[in-house]
Amino acid sequence: MEKQVGYNPSFAQEVFENVDAGEEIKMCMNCGVCAASCPLSLHMDYPPRQIFNMIRAGKREEVLNARSIMLCTSCYTCKVRCPRQIPVIDVMHGLAHYAIKQGILTRKATANFGREFWNQIYKLGRIDEKDLSRRAFFANGFLEGIKSMLNFSDIGIKMVLHRRMKLLPEKKIKGIDSFRKMLDKAGQMGKGGARA
Amino acid sequence: MKYFLYWGCSLEGSGANFLVSLRPACEALDMEFEEIEDWNCCGASVSYAGANDLAIKVLNARNLALAEAKANYDIVAPCSSCYIQMIKVNREIQEDPELLKQVNECLAEGGMNYKGTIKVRHIQDVLYNDVGLAKIKERVVKPLNGLKVAGYVGCQSVRPYGEYDSVEKPVVQDRLLEALGAEAVPFPRKIRCCGSGIFLPEIDYCSELVKDILEDAIDHGAKIVSTVCPMCAMNLEMYQSRINDKYGTDFDMPIVYLTQLMAVAFGMDPKKDAALGYNVIPPEGVLQAALGH
Repeated sequence: MEKQVGYNPSFAQEVFENVDAGEEIKMCMNCGVCAASCPLSLHMDYPPRQIFNMIRAGKREEVLNARSIMLCTSCYTCKVRCPRQIPVIDVMHGLAHYAIKQGILTRKATANFGREFWNQIYKLGRIDEKDLSRRAFFANGFLEGIKSMLNFSDIGIKMVLHRRMKLLPEKKIKGIDSFRKMLDKAGQMGKGGARA
Repeated sequence: MKYFLYWGCSLEGSGANFLVSLRPACEALDMEFEEIEDWNCCGASVSYAGANDLAIKVLNARNLALAEAKANYDIVAPCSSCYIQMIKVNREIQEDPELLKQVNECLAEGGMNYKGTIKVRHIQDVLYNDVGLAKIKERVVKPLNGLKVAGYVGCQSVRPYGEYDSVEKPVVQDRLLEALGAEAVPFPRKIRCCGSGIFLPEIDYCSELVKDILEDAIDHGAKIVSTVCPMCAMNLEMYQSRINDKYGTDFDMPIVYLTQLMAVAFGMDPKKDAALGYNVIPPEGVLQAALGH
């Protein structure tokens, strides 16, 4: 008897309904141009086209725990080259958001960096680069934080000496209260759900 | 020519040499800038970890709405992440009335509204298409005398839309460099990504990307790399010593912003206007050799 591959549409449905840009994978013909174009595909466990196929096959755990979905550098090469005009980058970002929201932190440092980035936008309206890296380092744990601070201290010192670091703390934007209301509303309305 | 200048968070910190040099260099070409008052961060490349897509769109729509309420100038976004985030949202809103409605429902929570009338432009776009090469050449008083420059375009300054340049074989930065008297060397990796916003947390994977880009520049004879993106500048310059340690290379390549080279070629103050002192790998030697003093 021919070997059959199981097909379980429930996860695909979950992705179409809950992941930003998730429905875009319907157009994928698995040509692999995204994989060939991606600067970090060599470090991915599954390249984007395979992730899309695994979604169709119902491989929920494998997809949400995949390293790949956290490794997007946002270079847009995949989107430019996809012959089916799939915004591959948007799907990967959507999947990353969805996985992090379920508490899955496969690339912990990158997930924490992105979350702290967003937290700071929500808190101030802007990014305070020095504070962001410190918070992101310590989000990985106290010891990890100390280690990273020491590890990157030479770069930090160079940046201060060459005036590439804003020394004063970043102030909140004037319209911070109404700004947060707008973002809260978007959190409720958006398909990808509220803050991760 | 008057524009809104949306310089974003990085240009006040790690990308300070971009903003410091951009103002005098562009003002010398009769460009005038106005800040978008009370602007917020664009969300850059990594905020999807914490926010859904609509929230990131609302971030950018707020800036667009603030500009629209003030005047009808084009927005110039020198940081490529700011540029791509803003132009992406603007285009999606203009193509999809349903999305515009959703975004405005969120903006209304803060008493704001966006109609969709503002244009978003990259700094290379306005220099090439509004100012023009002829005017730039006219302003040059210290031509760069054939200095071999690798014009590093990166990703988000041309992709995905290719509004003003090819997404696969961009030429605008090279033409601008040539207008300053430099020689833009062939540089196949000029559109390969440096790791951008995830370089720091994924430094083990991304340092190879930077190594390959720098090697390519050197292999094609470049003495200096120019860029138009604060992430590119940061990743290519600040981590060179790390990359040397890891791969046994001996990179010592100055990484400057295009606008720094403009200020130099326009004969402006190397410190105050060209902001050369902000560079960690000093570009003065290479530039002085080219200028012949």
